[in-house]
Amino acid sequence: MAPQLTLQAPLQLPPNEVPAYLNRLWSDHLKDSSGAATFTLVVWEPSWLQQQLIRTGRIDGPITGLLNGQLLDAARQAIGELGLPASTAPTAPELAWALGQQPGSHEAEDLRGQFVDRAISAHQPRRLITLAPTLAGDQNLESTVAAYCPLPEERGLTADACGDVVVLRGGMGAMQQGLAMLQELIPDDLPCWVWWNGTMDESPELLDALAVPPRRLVVDSSIGEPRRCLDLMVQRIERGQAVNDLNWLRLRTWRESLAMVFDPPNRQSALEQVVQLDIDVEGQHPVKGLMLAAWIADRLGWHLLNNFWIDGGAGEGRGIGAEFQRKDGQSVQFRLMPVPVGVSKMHPGALVGLRLICAPPERSPLCVILCSESGGCMRLEAGGVASMELAEEVVPLPNESEEMEMARLLGGGHDSTNPLLATAAALAAKLLPN
Amino acid sequence: MAATQTNPLRVGLRQERVISPQCLVIFGASGDLTHRKLIPALFELFRQRRLPTEFSVLGCARRPWSDDDFRNRMAEAMADEVKQHQTAWQQFAACLFYEPVDLQQDEDVVRLGTRLEALDRQRATRGNRTFYLSVSPAFYGSGCRALANAGLLKDPSRSRVVIEKPFGTDYSSAQSLNRVVQSCGQESQIFRIDHYLGKETVQNILVLRFANAIFEPIWNRNYIANVQITAAETVGVEERAGYYETSGALRDMVQNHLTQMLALTAMETPGHFDPESIRSEKAKVLQAARLANEDEPWKCCVRGQYSRGGNPANPMAGYREEPGVNPESTTETYVAMKLFIDNWRWQGVPFYLRTGKRLPKRLSEVVLTFRKAPVQLFDAAGGTPTANQLVLRIQPDEGAGFVFDVKAPGSGMRSRPVDMHFSYDESFGEPSDEGYVRLLADAMLGDPTLFTRSDEVEAAWRLYTPLLELIEDAPQQLPVYPYEARTWGPGAADNLLAEDGLMWRRP
Repeated sequence: MAPQLTLQAPLQLPPNEVPAYLNRLWSDHLKDSSGAATFTLVVWEPSWLQQQLIRTGRIDGPITGLLNGQLLDAARQAIGELGLPASTAPTAPELAWALGQQPGSHEAEDLRGQFVDRAISAHQPRRLITLAPTLAGDQNLESTVAAYCPLPEERGLTADACGDVVVLRGGMGAMQQGLAMLQELIPDDLPCWVWWNGTMDESPELLDALAVPPRRLVVDSSIGEPRRCLDLMVQRIERGQAVNDLNWLRLRTWRESLAMVFDPPNRQSALEQVVQLDIDVEGQHPVKGLMLAAWIADRLGWHLLNNFWIDGGAGEGRGIGAEFQRKDGQSVQFRLMPVPVGVSKMHPGALVGLRLICAPPERSPLCVILCSESGGCMRLEAGGVASMELAEEVVPLPNESEEMEMARLLGGGHDSTNPLLATAAALAAKLLPN
Repeated sequence: MAATQTNPLRVGLRQERVISPQCLVIFGASGDLTHRKLIPALFELFRQRRLPTEFSVLGCARRPWSDDDFRNRMAEAMADEVKQHQTAWQQFAACLFYEPVDLQQDEDVVRLGTRLEALDRQRATRGNRTFYLSVSPAFYGSGCRALANAGLLKDPSRSRVVIEKPFGTDYSSAQSLNRVVQSCGQESQIFRIDHYLGKETVQNILVLRFANAIFEPIWNRNYIANVQITAAETVGVEERAGYYETSGALRDMVQNHLTQMLALTAMETPGHFDPESIRSEKAKVLQAARLANEDEPWKCCVRGQYSRGGNPANPMAGYREEPGVNPESTTETYVAMKLFIDNWRWQGVPFYLRTGKRLPKRLSEVVLTFRKAPVQLFDAAGGTPTANQLVLRIQPDEGAGFVFDVKAPGSGMRSRPVDMHFSYDESFGEPSDEGYVRLLADAMLGDPTLFTRSDEVEAAWRLYTPLLELIEDAPQQLPVYPYEARTWGPGAADNLLAEDGLMWRRP
């Protein structure tokens, strides 16, 4: 958290007393101020992976909800030990589930909601509400409140810069009970962001209740069953809700790298002559790859003709194929294939490589290959590309945390979905075969 | 930069930095700059989705306009763009508001504060405000004072002031204005704008120098023989005679735009790419810069004024014949000068600056001429060997070129110069944003890298003080030579370089 003065140290209260207590706190300490006129941030913070790693004794506490190096190392080690495919990403729900089958009863202090990343606290959320479900499903609802102001030298001890933090902790049943009180805690007159920092499969009722329009929803479409991830985004976007997807934001370096290849005007005409698009992804989560393909197809004005599953052969999962029609009526073949990797990146379905083949008439074909900084692209480099004009680039790994991405959204939020995401999500949903 | 075909994959990618919710308050909203530059730049940012939803523009001027009047006038001024992007304009126009304000009237400023609070609630702009002083320079100081007295600048992290050029008219007035402005808020709140720094190619000087390992080792007196910085305009004084008569080319172009190009070209490597590191290095190099002959400044500077020219089909009036110009005017429309920078990197390397109106070409460039090879092994095809030149083209045809010798084809071993050429258009194809788009975004982001700091402004004025004093006290010592419109300035400017055995580059 950015340097703060504690106006109210973390205090545990009976949940039903929280709203009245906060009202009293503000009127007593800050002379009827309602605090920073910024926004409310509601975070669904299950941190199942961290909770399970701690319970099974693989890492020490406290539970913070933050992904750090130690946690990721332990997760990667567990992937091997639990017999999961090496391509399983540390944040894949399968890992937390598999850990859940393991014995263990280690406990740790639960500080979720109290470790606020500096990038986020710098935006001075008026109210930060963390929903922290526990592994014990029958645990009663507990609530903690705290209030902070920026240091005087940073912003002056003025009420209009202060905010409070509310943590609701308990089993899943208790979370449902806490919903009514939660609605009371969200001021109507400020923008509200709901960060669903968990898998998109879980607790659909809770998600529906929390993320009601016009609240701005932030999800991660790399975590959860692909069909559910895409459909949920598309439905909400179609209903006019502002949806932000961290998985989409992580595509930025790929989109930038591909755009860079075609910046020179003498290359741009080749974009109208694409005949083949191949994307390789880690593991069995195709959403990120589909979103990239959908973005390219949308930008280049392709029309989807058909799609189908591709059998990837023994040991490799199913791929996805599709045929597009270009604006000039010519066909574009698309293939997305899962490839095995030794050490997966943090999120499921990370991109390994992209190949775009353009066949301009009366010129030699152009083959663009983008490879992830952390992996090879042997599959994409094979197949006769040596005879083509080759443009090969390495795409750097994004170096920003989820919290940094989130802070970026909070810093200049929009009350509508990015149109590029809206179109890409809708087309990606169509690309995923049923 | 010439507009070319847009890369369809580029659309929507410029979302690196996000502007915080805020209200941009434009003083002088009824003026030319607002509808010509500021509102179009904001509309461009809006269309690029770089403005947050919680955003508003409050236009302020003395005219008794309503919100709708302001919106309509802006729409009229940008009719083509509005027609092209009607839906976007409707959404954007909903962010535009207007309040009649005379900054000299206390009650107006109090009313402004109330309106801003109301807009904060209405648009959820969180009390973040950027005040843009697009008013007469005479009101910069009093305008800041009025805002400070009304408590509108008290929170340094939420309020900023953007001040247009010219910042002062000489060293002492710049110092005075700095004192006033700094008494109203912290230096971090003050954004002195020089729209030249918003140009992609001016910023590229930094990238070219500090992102490429090959240049920095030779970017010094050991390898560079001289530097020429040119900003040439083909236009005359146009409708700006009233202002130009009091400023002239020295104040209008050299003290700000050319000096900024000089600073970026000559500065030391900053330790970090952060605003203060860069601005400190720029200030340091300007503090080390001096006229080539401070005791006899007339020997290192030439002033000129365009006279009648053109051709029978397109005759051009002389400066003194332009509407609004004194027929006896001695205001310079051209100035050329020679500077030195007294530091380890540049000792003894002459920097030649020139700018003028009604020159044959519109162009800005920085040309670094390298020392000749110590031994001439080959005959030059052109008779004399050519020095290597690195040409940084700021506008038009933005890019860079490097002139070097190769073997001329054929028998024998004669050398001849060739040009290695980089063009923004050919490499990127994408038209750059207008300078104001970048600078407005940066000001609202609170990033002062491309804005001039108080010590930079003062150092720039100090550099030209001997010339300004001479023009004031003994103008006959620095005469204004006439030059025919659409020529490269007076012959005396050529002599300035001829004395050093050099010539101006003819671009």
